[in-house]
Amino acid sequence: MPGTLDLLILKAVSLGPLHGYGVLLRVQQITGGGLTIEQGALYPALYRLEHRGLLDAEWGTSDNNRRARFYTLSPAGRKRLRDETQSWRHMAAAMAAALGVEPGEL
Amino acid sequence: MWRRIASIARGLFRRAAVERDMADEMRFHLDARIADLVSAGATRDAAARQARLEFGAVDNYQEQCREARGLAWLDDLRGDLLYAFRTLARSPGFAAVAIVSLALGIGANTLAFSAVYSLVLKPLPINRPNEVAFVQPVGSVAGMSFPNYRDLRDRAVTFAGLAGYRISPMNIDVGGGAGAPPRRTWGYLATGNYFDVLGVTPALGRFFHADDDRRPGDAPLVVLGHDYWTTHTAADPGIVGRTIRINRLQYTVIGVAPRGFRGTERFYPAEAWVPMMMQAQIEIGNPWLERRATGNTWVIGRLKTGVSPAAATANLNAIAADLARDYPDVNKSLRFKLAQPGFVGDALGQPVAAFTVGLLALAALVLVIACANLASVVAARGADRQRELAIRISIGAGRWRIVRQLLTESLVIAVIGGAAGCAMATAGARALSAWHAPIDFPVQMDVTLDRTVLAFASVVSIVAGVLFGVAPARRASTVDPSAALKDGYEADSRRRYPLRDLLVGGQVALCFVIVAASLLSLRGLQEALTMPLGFDPRGVTMVGFELGLGGYSHDEGQRFQQRALEAAQRLPGVTSAAYGNSLPLSIDQSRANVSRADRPVDSAAGLPLAIRYEVSPGYFRTLGTRLLKGRDIDWSDAADRPLVAVINAAFGRTVMQTDDPVGLRIRWGRGSIEVVGVVEDGKYQSLTEAATPAMFVPMQQFYNTTTTMIVRSVMPPEQIVAATRQAIAALDPELTLYGTGTVEQMLGFVLFPNQMAAIALTAFGVLGLVLAATGINGTVAYAVSRRRREIGIRVAVGATRGRVLRLVLGRIIMLIAAGAAVGAVLAFAGARLLASIVYQASPHDPLVFGGVAVVLVFVGIASCWAPALRSLRIAPMTALRPE
Repeated sequence: MPGTLDLLILKAVSLGPLHGYGVLLRVQQITGGGLTIEQGALYPALYRLEHRGLLDAEWGTSDNNRRARFYTLSPAGRKRLRDETQSWRHMAAAMAAALGVEPGEL
Repeated sequence: MWRRIASIARGLFRRAAVERDMADEMRFHLDARIADLVSAGATRDAAARQARLEFGAVDNYQEQCREARGLAWLDDLRGDLLYAFRTLARSPGFAAVAIVSLALGIGANTLAFSAVYSLVLKPLPINRPNEVAFVQPVGSVAGMSFPNYRDLRDRAVTFAGLAGYRISPMNIDVGGGAGAPPRRTWGYLATGNYFDVLGVTPALGRFFHADDDRRPGDAPLVVLGHDYWTTHTAADPGIVGRTIRINRLQYTVIGVAPRGFRGTERFYPAEAWVPMMMQAQIEIGNPWLERRATGNTWVIGRLKTGVSPAAATANLNAIAADLARDYPDVNKSLRFKLAQPGFVGDALGQPVAAFTVGLLALAALVLVIACANLASVVAARGADRQRELAIRISIGAGRWRIVRQLLTESLVIAVIGGAAGCAMATAGARALSAWHAPIDFPVQMDVTLDRTVLAFASVVSIVAGVLFGVAPARRASTVDPSAALKDGYEADSRRRYPLRDLLVGGQVALCFVIVAASLLSLRGLQEALTMPLGFDPRGVTMVGFELGLGGYSHDEGQRFQQRALEAAQRLPGVTSAAYGNSLPLSIDQSRANVSRADRPVDSAAGLPLAIRYEVSPGYFRTLGTRLLKGRDIDWSDAADRPLVAVINAAFGRTVMQTDDPVGLRIRWGRGSIEVVGVVEDGKYQSLTEAATPAMFVPMQQFYNTTTTMIVRSVMPPEQIVAATRQAIAALDPELTLYGTGTVEQMLGFVLFPNQMAAIALTAFGVLGLVLAATGINGTVAYAVSRRRREIGIRVAVGATRGRVLRLVLGRIIMLIAAGAAVGAVLAFAGARLLASIVYQASPHDPLVFGGVAVVLVFVGIASCWAPALRSLRIAPMTALRPE
């Protein structure tokens, strides 16, 4: 679904600074492996979010001592995550309600 | 927003680093994934394969990343720019024509307009210049008498103020270099209210005011011009309060005029201003402040707020009627009119306006030609690329992408051409501003580039280029690629041809007009140079001096003049020498109201005006003026003998109204003079004047302290001038000599405007020719390249060289001929305007029109020549081989 990947990335990064591969692992972890995308697709999304000012990026050192680019949530990103989460919840509730309707209930 | 700009800026300036970072980041991801897979038990190779598979196409995602960063358009732009430069470099001929057309169109136009604006159109640098008008007596050159001015000033209720001024040579000695002779400069005598009426603020010190200018001879104050201050006192800030000498008298410097303010005459800039009450001290020996018959004061006035020019003129003429009643002898039929300030009343306004209009019209024509040129080469090229565009479309290039590509190309040309044009205009303006005319007069052109015109010319020519450059893209995007790709496809050639033909023909026609204008002007100048002057300036040198200044009394002065003349006549190589109070066509001319003594004065018409010279015996012989009747003035016409005069033929015809005026008497003032001789007519005030009455009276009988000694000799002029100076210095080493040089040099000043006009018009003519030549060349080259196949086939089936040439040149020569014919009609119709640009240009000179036709045909053929020759070298086999 459009926008889903962006929202998942924001959520993943909100839990702590991550490099690109870390984001992938965290997303897989928090979705229970339910996300099926090509891993490369992650990067255009990261760049787009950074370009829009929702993520900050900084070069740092990874666990195995390599140069890696770490993403953190910017204040704008935090606000966007909050808003999106809320509207996602509304939407999910609405969808759940809609899909839960049985014949004769109306 | 910030972030976005920063990110784009990073993308722009740290392009390589950003790319490296992106690659690094993805490599890190892959490596980390491989490490995870290996630690989960996979082999290294299998892990690497797996990781790459999971990641997907790296290139593709990198591209998406760039796009995500908003850098895609940058890449495209870079590509477009590179491609544009490459294609332009591949066709340098096209690029050169387009860029040169643009540069000339923009540069020449801007320069011409800026020069005209700075010289003519720009308001004088005074406060609210639109309220200020020149007050001119109708029927006079410009000036009115000082008493008349004073009465106007005191009685005119429609004016907030009226100021008078007079251009005067001044010998200024700032006391800088020890023993350096005083420099002769041009300044204004100005009434005390001059600066207050104009509303100018001094750069330094103060200006003089009405209170400083009350009593004659009692205002030894001077305001220096800004240029004079910077060049002759090294911009000395302590100049105010210092004493300098003007004509040997001491004056106190009270201020410096602001930069750019050079007085109220555009073509007669002032370097110093002295209060009008010092007139007798500045113009020694000729005090005219109290003479109501001497019209030497130029008057400029500021209308009161809300007063219309018509109301002001009515007010002035009511006063004029009073003045005519009170002083009927000199103010008969006195009337005033208002004129644009800055042009010596309307004396210069008319020719200057005509010249301005003409020059701007030519500049506009050049711009049109440049645009046509650009349009035709760009359109030709675009049509040429139809195939290339069709191919690109068929292999999937977006149409917008192609339009953008062509647009980029056009813009590259536009930017380079525009920059070259700006550089040209800037350099030209700088050169004009730095240039000093080679004449004894501070003509200064302060040319500042006019940004509006620069922008206008740039936009017009760039729009022309871009429009015609992009048009083929639109066409290409509507054609069927598969049809275009068919061998030898020619995109609707029948429809496109007429437009380009029209452009070429129109160009030739306009070019005809421009070249005709410049040739007419050159012919005019040539005629002005060979026109009978009424004297022969060749071999005559001149030295001026002023005896009143040296404290000579009337008798001493006359004795000195005679001794100096005798000394000059004794110089080796001198054939004759004489004096005149002034020379014909010099700036200083005197006039007198005269009439035939034995007839009653026609009170309705007023008295005729004649130019008046005081001359010594030998004047006519020295200047080379022919005596037609009677006798010359000689030494026997002494002060105690009957008054005599020699008149010119025009005087005899118009004032005496007879063919044989010798022996008749002229009424002049309260007395009368006998006519003893008649000389040929000449030019006295300008080269364009009609025959003007002139009279010459003996200097022995009408003493004048201002004299110009003229010497005719066979020696080199510098030598004789030096010898004359030495001879005079031997008699009085203190005497300031001025205006030394040859009479031909002095005439240079009279011819100067004509020369400038001719130079400007010639430049435009050459420009027009260059543009037309490049345009024709481009068109023919295009036609040849387009018909390579056809020519190849014709050669293969046995066409002769003559046939091929006829094929290639037939159409273009027809176009040139048609264009020239239309141009001839246009030029013929506009010839009256052309004639008004340059004096003496006869509007329908067959020689000029024939000459232009010849020049155009010659240039046309010359510019066709190279491509035509190329067509002859087309080898049938290579031409027939598909591209």
